[in-house]
Amino acid sequence: MKKSKSKKQSNTQQEATNVEEFSFNITKIAVSQICKSVGFKRSQILALETLTLVATKYLEALAKSSVSFSNAANRTQSNLLDLTNALHDMSQVGFRGASTLYDNNCLLKSSVLEDLSAFVSSTAEIPFAKPIERAKEREMEKVKASTGNLQRGAHIPEWLPSFPDVVSNEKCNKRVNGEELWENSSSVLGCQSDGFEEKRNPGKLAKERARVKFRINGGGKRVQLNGYSGNNLFSQTKDEEPEAEYKKPIKSKENQNRVYKRRKL
Amino acid sequence: MNHNQQSGDAKNDDDSALSDFLASLMDYTPAIPDELVEHYLAKSGFQCPDVRLIRLVAVATQKFVAEVASDALQHCKARQAAVIKDKREKQQKDKHLILTMDDLSKSLLEYGVNVQHQDYFADDPSTGRDPASREE
Repeated sequence: MKKSKSKKQSNTQQEATNVEEFSFNITKIAVSQICKSVGFKRSQILALETLTLVATKYLEALAKSSVSFSNAANRTQSNLLDLTNALHDMSQVGFRGASTLYDNNCLLKSSVLEDLSAFVSSTAEIPFAKPIERAKEREMEKVKASTGNLQRGAHIPEWLPSFPDVVSNEKCNKRVNGEELWENSSSVLGCQSDGFEEKRNPGKLAKERARVKFRINGGGKRVQLNGYSGNNLFSQTKDEEPEAEYKKPIKSKENQNRVYKRRKL
Repeated sequence: MNHNQQSGDAKNDDDSALSDFLASLMDYTPAIPDELVEHYLAKSGFQCPDVRLIRLVAVATQKFVAEVASDALQHCKARQAAVIKDKREKQQKDKHLILTMDDLSKSLLEYGVNVQHQDYFADDPSTGRDPASREE
């Protein structure tokens, strides 16, 4: 039941199987060192683990409330003021000046910060018991030095096209702050001008198409290539046969000339 | 005008005190390693490029744990002071400062955390009541 707080390695320690256990074990070492500095010689295992759990929950609760304070102010990164507000929220026993918290609008004069500074100056440092491996600096991913790629980060793959240029939208119905629906935004409208014809008939080919013809070996045989059939590419037909798909009558000589010109290319 | 100047001076003093405190944070190494704190902060969504704020969180947590532990120590010493029978036990008292669940639960209760063990569990709500008052 009782575990010695000395710095000798305990035989009851088990290796961590996942990330949570690993961080929990490290936190347990730190908490036991703090308890030793306070004056305890020994501890029950369950008591130590409970205190460690409470410490981790406290840390996470501090972080979460600080994050929600910064998010409420339209920010993603927390600053000292968010942290001070979070510390105020987390204090259960109260602190000096808690009743007049927002009277003078100066959060940095908070007594919580003063208490922390007094704690730092009065308490001796507690070096961590086990050696800590510093994380190796990750090798910076080399981004190709093209003009488009310098702007966007490594999280966007190379094979994606670059972002469209932002075209200024000069419509008269604009909101005060420049807000507009996403569909009407300039980035989306800029895309539409390129493939506009395709969007008219999505998935359908044009009805009137020129017939593609070519000759094989320059001989008498003339092979007609159907405009849109992929399977039966080669079919021998005579020009005189009427074909229902094509509205325009086919003139054979002109087609031959057309074919000849194409083969030259 | 004077009031504004005074408040401005007061703010400058506070800012300088605060910046001194933050500078002293970099000299002070908290008991909880920076990487561990960063892991828990990242788990909760806390984003901050400033290392001093991470140290501040570590120091705040260390202060909290130290306060809880010192309260538990007070409870432990108070219990031992009440149990002294012989003079020999006074010397043994210093060696037996053990963090028990009992003391810890009492000190955590003051901080709003309930980790009290139930004394016993019963299978019936009327267990332990006076038999005359039991409703059957």
